Amino acid sequence: MFLTRSEYDRGVSTFSPEGRLFQVEYSLEAIKLGSTAIGISTSQGVILGVEKRVTSSLLEASSIEKIIEIDHHIGCAMSGLTADARSMIDHARVSSLTHNLYYDEDIRVESLTQSVCDLALRFGEGAEGEKRLMSRPFGVALLIAGVDKHKGPQLYHAEPSGTFYRYDAKAIGSGSEGAQAELNNEYHKSLTLEEAELLALKILKQVMEEKLDCKNAQLASVTAEGGFQIYSEEKTDAIIKTLNEQATDEDTVIS
Amino acid sequence: MNHDPFQWGRPSNETYGAYNHQIANAGVPDNTTHASLDAFPKMHTQQPIITGTSVIASKFNNGIIMAADNVGSYGSLLRFSNIERLIKVGSETVVGLSGDVSDMQQIERILDELETSEEVYDNDGGDYLRAANVHEYLSRVMYNRRSKMNPLWNSIIVGGFYRDRTPFLKYVDLVGVTYSSSTIATGFGSHLAIPLLRNLIPEDKDYVKVDEQQITKVVEDSMRVLFYRDARSGDKYSQVIIKLDEEGKVVFEFTKEVKVENQSWRFAKDIRGYGSSQQ
Amino acid sequence: MQTTVASEYSNEIHSVPIEHRFNPYSDNGGTVLGIAGEDFAVLAGDTRQVEGYSIQSRYEPKIFDVGDNIVMTANGFAADGVALIDKFRQQLKWYKFDNFGGKLEIKSAARYIQHLLYGKRFFPYYVSTLIAGLDEEGKGAVYSYDPVGSYEREQCRAGGAAASLIMPFLDNQVNFKNQFIPGTDGKEKKPLKYLTLEEVIELVRDAFSSATERHIYVGDGLEIKIVTKDGVRTEYYPLKRD
Repeated sequence: MFLTRSEYDRGVSTFSPEGRLFQVEYSLEAIKLGSTAIGISTSQGVILGVEKRVTSSLLEASSIEKIIEIDHHIGCAMSGLTADARSMIDHARVSSLTHNLYYDEDIRVESLTQSVCDLALRFGEGAEGEKRLMSRPFGVALLIAGVDKHKGPQLYHAEPSGTFYRYDAKAIGSGSEGAQAELNNEYHKSLTLEEAELLALKILKQVMEEKLDCKNAQLASVTAEGGFQIYSEEKTDAIIKTLNEQATDEDTVIS
Repeated sequence: MNHDPFQWGRPSNETYGAYNHQIANAGVPDNTTHASLDAFPKMHTQQPIITGTSVIASKFNNGIIMAADNVGSYGSLLRFSNIERLIKVGSETVVGLSGDVSDMQQIERILDELETSEEVYDNDGGDYLRAANVHEYLSRVMYNRRSKMNPLWNSIIVGGFYRDRTPFLKYVDLVGVTYSSSTIATGFGSHLAIPLLRNLIPEDKDYVKVDEQQITKVVEDSMRVLFYRDARSGDKYSQVIIKLDEEGKVVFEFTKEVKVENQSWRFAKDIRGYGSSQQ
Repeated sequence: MQTTVASEYSNEIHSVPIEHRFNPYSDNGGTVLGIAGEDFAVLAGDTRQVEGYSIQSRYEPKIFDVGDNIVMTANGFAADGVALIDKFRQQLKWYKFDNFGGKLEIKSAARYIQHLLYGKRFFPYYVSTLIAGLDEEGKGAVYSYDPVGSYEREQCRAGGAAASLIMPFLDNQVNFKNQFIPGTDGKEKKPLKYLTLEEVIELVRDAFSSATERHIYVGDGLEIKIVTKDGVRTEYYPLKRD
């Protein structure tokens, strides 16, 4: 199928006759190769969960960073070419800090997401003479989780195409299809934060190839009271235990 | 006295020796070449050269009146007597300028350009350039120039109508200060003409009680007082009246070469102690 | 070197050019004052604008409703005042675009104005700036600035030509400075309390009529903008015109 596209997928900002930007579409493909990341928004806060691919027993699992703090009230999970996320997160941190400097208040989660997406299109020149910053679109998608006093807990999905949408629950990465289907089934508005933690891990467990443990999965939460927090391995371990107990309970019920 | 413009007003060389130009050019070495002068920093207007004196203006019940004489002074020298300092802009706005005449001419060109570019919208029956627009534009030009430390050395009065056909009168000067009032005058006019004008229009809202005839009389008096007491003024002036006729249409009356009439110099004979050595 | 006239200056060697520099500032007089109450705030200013000893206008308002229930004034050099307020209004529009139409809180407006002022640190806006409105809890707030952006939230502040005449009066009447409970021999301070809107308006009127008596740059009219949860309201009182 790629043969037909060959004329129009060289220049990053050249439309195909059907009106598509292939390089941008390819970048979305790159995300589908990435490890799974899940975000669930509840009325009490937002949960982020990621799979870490620990490819070798000699690899230090804690050096894989897929959930990162942007500011005290915003964090994000990523999937795809995670190295590309560095510049996005740098930009997001600067935006958040600058907003606080200029306005003496926390930046809104939506504004922050918008400012990250502004960066996503800088692989071409801007209409007002902005310099081309990158040779290609980002190969990474972000799940941006945060709280603000205007709209409470929020979850946004930001893509390399520069578009973003708000979600109640969203999965990205290689396991996203199955995970998203499961989220659609399981999500409801009255979910508690604890239930969301369990749900995130449960879905990760289903879509991951390796057996889920506190080394190859990571959780984080954003709440009005606690702000952004990455869960310690012990805390994640405890939740996995609860999850496993629940699973055995259900098995017993079924059998 | 040496009448070369660059030497004018300086003590004669025969009596006092050659003028020491180093006083004004201190810091520029004696061996300065033409090339090194080109490298000298760009200079901005630091003082006005040829100047126009006061502009006076007032609202009245159905319009505005503005007057300015035709003198262009070079210091204390009456250099020109045919300078027109009231400019019509668009169809119902007048701009009166005092201060540096070359800067005034640049403002004329700026306003010309503005008129040309805004005319496009006028032709297709759209909105057109009104006094308030002209004033806002000029105030930005003046403030931006002062902020670059390169001012246009003028005080400007803009007169015309608001959209609702009430009279518009507003001021802007070389530092960008603006204000509106029912009576405005620049330069000596603010000392000599304003008291006469405010006598007729004590409060801003009172202009509605004053008709064209009354205000024209006071403007005439003001121009006479200015001619008496402002040494940089002339006895010939231009006057603009912008008013609404019975159908509410704008009438623009531009009168040139108005003479200061009914002068009386009887007081002069009583002056003692200056000039005259008769006493 | 040839000299002009025999004088004590004739042999003086000038190392710097004789300078006649353009002065980009002027003082346009006027005075302003802000007071915060429990659930309201006021900003008041006279309406006279001067240049030297001349009154340019007897009614040139300088208190502005800039939107989002915030009132603002920048008193001193009139052109800078107008420029600062214009700039703030423009930036407020950008804030709305960038923040999905959200309200700019007064503390955020306050911080932003600091950056507007400090941004011209080396060619300052020659003004005393005040803003007033309600804070996030609905309490009255007044913020005051120096020309280069140092700012503070206060219960009251006077600025401009007659600031030094009005401020001590406010210290005494709003913050009860040097007021003691009778019979305590100056030991017990009069406790602070919020003034009512009526009391505040009376204070403001007294402050301005007194400043009008003693300061030549103050007079003609008094315009007060009052901010409550219901919005901004304007009152006008004539002042002496001499």
